[in-house]
Amino acid sequence: MLLAKDRLNELLDHLSTEARVYVPARIETQTRFALYSDTVKPNFKLVNTELPPKDILFPQTQNMYRYGFDAEGVPFIDPIHDADDVVIFGARSCDVRSIECMDDVFLTKGYVDEFYEPRRSRLLLVAMACNTVAESCFCDSMSLDPNSAPAADIQMSEGDQAFEVTALNEKGEAALAAWSSYLTEGSIEHAAVSCELKVEMTGIKEKLDHMFEHPIWESVSKKCLNCGTCTFVCPTCHCFDISQENRMKIGERFRSWDSCMFSCYTEMAGHHNPRAEKMPRVRQRFLHKLCFFEDRYGKSLCVGCGRCVADCPVALDITVLIDQIGAAELTEGAVHDA
Amino acid sequence: MTLEIEHGCARAKEQLVPLACKVVSITSQTSDVKAYRIQTADGQKPFDCEPGQTAMFSVIPYGECMFCVSSQGEDYIEFTVKKVGYVTERIHALNVGDSIGIRGPYGNWFPTEGLKGKDVLFVGGGIGLAPLRSLLTYMLDNRDDYGRIDLVYSGSTRDDLLFLDEIQNDWPKYPNTFVNVSIYQASDDWDGAVGFTAPFLESLDFSPEGRIAVLCGGPSLFRTCLESLEKIGFPPEDIITTLEMKMKCGIGKCGRCNIGSLYICLDGPVFTMAELADLPWSAH
Repeated sequence: MLLAKDRLNELLDHLSTEARVYVPARIETQTRFALYSDTVKPNFKLVNTELPPKDILFPQTQNMYRYGFDAEGVPFIDPIHDADDVVIFGARSCDVRSIECMDDVFLTKGYVDEFYEPRRSRLLLVAMACNTVAESCFCDSMSLDPNSAPAADIQMSEGDQAFEVTALNEKGEAALAAWSSYLTEGSIEHAAVSCELKVEMTGIKEKLDHMFEHPIWESVSKKCLNCGTCTFVCPTCHCFDISQENRMKIGERFRSWDSCMFSCYTEMAGHHNPRAEKMPRVRQRFLHKLCFFEDRYGKSLCVGCGRCVADCPVALDITVLIDQIGAAELTEGAVHDA
Repeated sequence: MTLEIEHGCARAKEQLVPLACKVVSITSQTSDVKAYRIQTADGQKPFDCEPGQTAMFSVIPYGECMFCVSSQGEDYIEFTVKKVGYVTERIHALNVGDSIGIRGPYGNWFPTEGLKGKDVLFVGGGIGLAPLRSLLTYMLDNRDDYGRIDLVYSGSTRDDLLFLDEIQNDWPKYPNTFVNVSIYQASDDWDGAVGFTAPFLESLDFSPEGRIAVLCGGPSLFRTCLESLEKIGFPPEDIITTLEMKMKCGIGKCGRCNIGSLYICLDGPVFTMAELADLPWSAH
């Protein structure tokens, strides 16, 4: 089916009456997924927004419950469940895959996260095929396809006059049925794109299995500032802290994004810290992306979006690291099963 | 012998939002350790759990910390808490009747089934007794199911030994149950053994034959006693321990207790040393 470009805002206006609709847009100096409104319109020229859409499902700060003592002094603990219907409209393949990774974390291994699941189940995920790629994009080296995102509910691709929209599952079919007055029959020819930046991933995971003690981590971590930018812009970084804010006898306990780049992340009472130095923290981040997550969930935690490549202030480039791992020798004594 | 330890098996009733509970008793163990018995606000046991499982103890409004449930009764769970930081200071300021929050239980547990019929050697120091106590009291409650029980326990001084009255006066009354306690610094009020845990352990001449060792203590005790157990002849698969990492969520999501592909809060904290040998983690 086709959605004529001059009817896009009409459709989004309609969707906004029933759901919170997030579109790629520039907000002041930053590009991200922002709430569609009279002043915020989608900009599909942005290949990849500077910030990923992860905060829509996993807010940077999310209140989990209120607690305190009522007027009679009786304690109360009241959970806050505040999910709405949400549409992410125009996610790229990398960001769709990142949501698959977050689903693995928050919905599997015996625990369905009670604050993630309500948001996830009320999400309509509309993917947009890439018409061009950024300098730092390398998703097709990470088993993704910039032209399609099979885990989305609806796949869109952009032509000159219209978008082609295709339902990928039942949820997508129901949505397209509801959008039918905005759609016409037809299709467009999508010219497939591929990334210019390539990395060779063959054998990298298997090699990393034996590189926990390799000297490469000392050398790659040298220039890292531990600023946490990579974890902040990463669409799959999902570590969180739990803290609280109190006003008199009432407070809210919340979770908020955290970063394995920070020394306090693993510091325990008594100052014991298994990752007190920079090297183990840098190693943890890269092994988690490229090795540990795959062991646990069967897929890479790096989706090749290139945000950390573009934003790292000291150019600590994961694609360069992958090349270095590929070239590294597994010397005696440097080998330890990871 | 092969011990089967389950991993990733916890199913906490309260996942992230605590249950309103209250402190029903506090017993001071040392100058900086107290044991707390906890019930729900309406006087029930917060949850049933297995020995070695953990729970998040929430001091409204200051914060929450993960502890091993050090023992349990019909209508309470017990935590043994050392004052070492911000939240534990707040826990130590609690009084009987005060409201707190509890969520859990998290993590796996000691192999209570697999240990049946076997001799068990407990080795620990200081606050390391807390998780050992959960298994030891369980075994004493089901005394006939297990072989000989030995405890090797140490503290810096006499005043650093937890549950000393129980250890010296109650536990040895059980059949085939023996306690061995040492302190590091001799004092006038102590007529028992003096010495570090590892040489004390070696001097006691335990045979690894048919025996499982359960080890818990601070980094230096852990390292030295592990070496001693290996020297005595315990193979890594017969040495069980319980790991500590910083934890926030307890359900394998928040990330900070990640070691390799595992989350200690969910897949652990109980492992054999043979299992730990496969992890990107160093005991030494």
